[in-house]
Amino acid sequence: MARDKSITNPGATAEPKAAEGQTQGAKKGEADVAQPEAEMVHLIVFKLGTEEYAIKIDQVKEVTTTPSVTRMPRTPDFVKGVANIRGDIIAIIDMEKRFQIRPAELIDGLISNQSYTLVIEAKDYSIGVEVKEVPQSLNLPVTKIDKAPSFLQDVSVSENFIEGLAKINNRLIIVLDMHKILTQDEINQLSKS
Amino acid sequence: MKSREQEYKEIFIAEALEYFDALNRHISTLEKQPEDEQTLAEIFRLLHNLKANSKAIGYLQISDISHKLETAFSLIRSKELVFSDEVVTVLFDGIDMLGELIHNVDNPKFSEPDPILLRNLDIIVENLSESTIELAKVQKYNTSKNLSLSELVYIQIKKLDHMMNLVGELMIDRDRIISISRELGNDDLKSVSSHLYRITEDLQYSVMDARLVNIGSLFNKFPRIVRDIAAAENKEVNLSLSGQDIQIDRNILQIITDSLLHLVRNAITHGIEKPEEREKKGKKAAGELRLSAQSDRDNVLITLQDDGRGIDMKTVMKKAVERQLVAAEVAKDLADNEVLSFIFEPGFSTAKEITEFSGRGVGLDVVKNAIDSIGGRITVDSEKGKGTTFILQLPTSIAVKGALLFEVDNIYYAIPLIHTDQVVALDRDELHEVGDVIVANLKGETITVVYLNELLNAPEANMNLGDKTRLNGQVQNIIIVSYNNRKLGLIVDKLYRQQDIVVKPLSKPLQQIDIYGGVTLLGTGRVCLVLDVPAITRYFINMRQGRGDGKE
Repeated sequence: MARDKSITNPGATAEPKAAEGQTQGAKKGEADVAQPEAEMVHLIVFKLGTEEYAIKIDQVKEVTTTPSVTRMPRTPDFVKGVANIRGDIIAIIDMEKRFQIRPAELIDGLISNQSYTLVIEAKDYSIGVEVKEVPQSLNLPVTKIDKAPSFLQDVSVSENFIEGLAKINNRLIIVLDMHKILTQDEINQLSKS
Repeated sequence: MKSREQEYKEIFIAEALEYFDALNRHISTLEKQPEDEQTLAEIFRLLHNLKANSKAIGYLQISDISHKLETAFSLIRSKELVFSDEVVTVLFDGIDMLGELIHNVDNPKFSEPDPILLRNLDIIVENLSESTIELAKVQKYNTSKNLSLSELVYIQIKKLDHMMNLVGELMIDRDRIISISRELGNDDLKSVSSHLYRITEDLQYSVMDARLVNIGSLFNKFPRIVRDIAAAENKEVNLSLSGQDIQIDRNILQIITDSLLHLVRNAITHGIEKPEEREKKGKKAAGELRLSAQSDRDNVLITLQDDGRGIDMKTVMKKAVERQLVAAEVAKDLADNEVLSFIFEPGFSTAKEITEFSGRGVGLDVVKNAIDSIGGRITVDSEKGKGTTFILQLPTSIAVKGALLFEVDNIYYAIPLIHTDQVVALDRDELHEVGDVIVANLKGETITVVYLNELLNAPEANMNLGDKTRLNGQVQNIIIVSYNNRKLGLIVDKLYRQQDIVVKPLSKPLQQIDIYGGVTLLGTGRVCLVLDVPAITRYFINMRQGRGDGKE
């Protein structure tokens, strides 16, 4: 499975941020440090719209700056196109469009045409997920993830994809199960268009 | 290149040696367990095959000895001959002799098989239980046998598929390296990359060659099949085969097997008439069915021709109008080949209806889909009362295809050459708005033309395929593609070169989007989308029909 789980450092800005994410996770998780046997989970955190989302690291093959994407006419609008990542041609998905998430307004000074792509490894294929800000790495105890929040029935984002909510120092991170991101319905929808 | 005959001979020898090894193994088992039915049956089978194979290729001595041994073992099997010590010796000698002969098929100095041994074999076979006759001692040729391994390996097609995929990947990287070396202008790099080019080319052809099989391996199954179907239908059919030597990729042959069977069955059950009916029409009582293969540049053409009743255009047209595949007023003016193309429409005919009216088309859409899936083409030609001809144009290899590269709205596309008829540049004034489409007049032939940018990129709701004003520039480059006996002109923005491309299938979840046959990487590293002509033609027709019906 995920052989080269290297996280390609996307740029100079990436380092401090990623590091910060990690220290935060470690510092505030002191209670858990006391019990070393607590099961930890490693997440890659990224922003969609104004909220934070995360994927377990074992579902992420690599993080890279977005390569040039070739648009594919007559595909659903959440398919940005296809890109050549190390010789593999994979589909790049716009998650904000996919989940109808309102894109965040551009903050002054952060205007960039640079974006990052998380290459997600599903069972028998890979897809790319484009995000605007540098994804961060975060370690936290499994217990911090609320697996079955009852409110999920009311969420418009298809609840299937949400594995749980991670709550850590006033941050709320939505943990997605990427393997379910394209269900059979989705694939059917693709083929219809 | 070795001649075909030499290749057959090598295959025969390799196989025969394998049989020989197996025989030695089994007879040793049998010596210990003379009652083992299974081993006996296996020996029997091996000898029988060896006899048939050697006879077919003309090694009569081998087939003769195999025959004698086979007879001996059949007697042992039926318990008429006891598997006793002296019989065992003779049989071992006989098998050794087979080995000698196989090893020396090409050796002119090799003498005739030992007559004493032959006589011994005859004795045990003919004299059965009367063991009074002395078995003469056979002089051994060589007791110190050389051990040798077979010259032939069997390989799973899966492994060859994997190799082909790897070669494809390699070619893509090679093209990339060559384009980088051009940019850098380093002489060493240039010479290395041109060497790399030649090697990968050789490698590609070697792997492709390893996957080739004779079309005969499929064709030769048909005489029996044709006989059986004809007998069931009370018809007389003469099948003639040609071009069995033509070689084709094994997987392609596999994919078209069912299709060809389907077409042959159709030709006999629905095409060729009963003998009495044929005689009334002044034809010979026996129908002629011709199945032939020929090479045509990079493609293989398979032709299936019958001299049966042919397809009745009028009924096909009536059916097409009934099924609303075409408007009645349009149908009148359709050319024959356009009418014929309806028989490939899905569900155009269910078995019953079709036998009543024209006798063709049972599941022809399935045949067509199979051919489409490997990037081939199928065309049909028919004359009422005279017969029907199907032509299958197949690529010799699945992975590597000649293709035409072009650009639409800054995206690179490719179309496999097998679907392109010609490329023309026409002035905008030579294109005419007729109804909801654009048409062009090409040497007297009226061809529907579509602006690809509009078809691919305009929002479906306000797509207008008949609006010339949406075109860019004065001179239009048009690729004429042909699918299902119909031609369609595709207007592209920029036309590039012709090039061999390695088509990579789209990975999930995109692989279900059918207007793309796959993608390829250009030397520059850019992704190029490979258009699937059948699907794009269908899409075009759907868009037109959708508008015509006021849908969308």
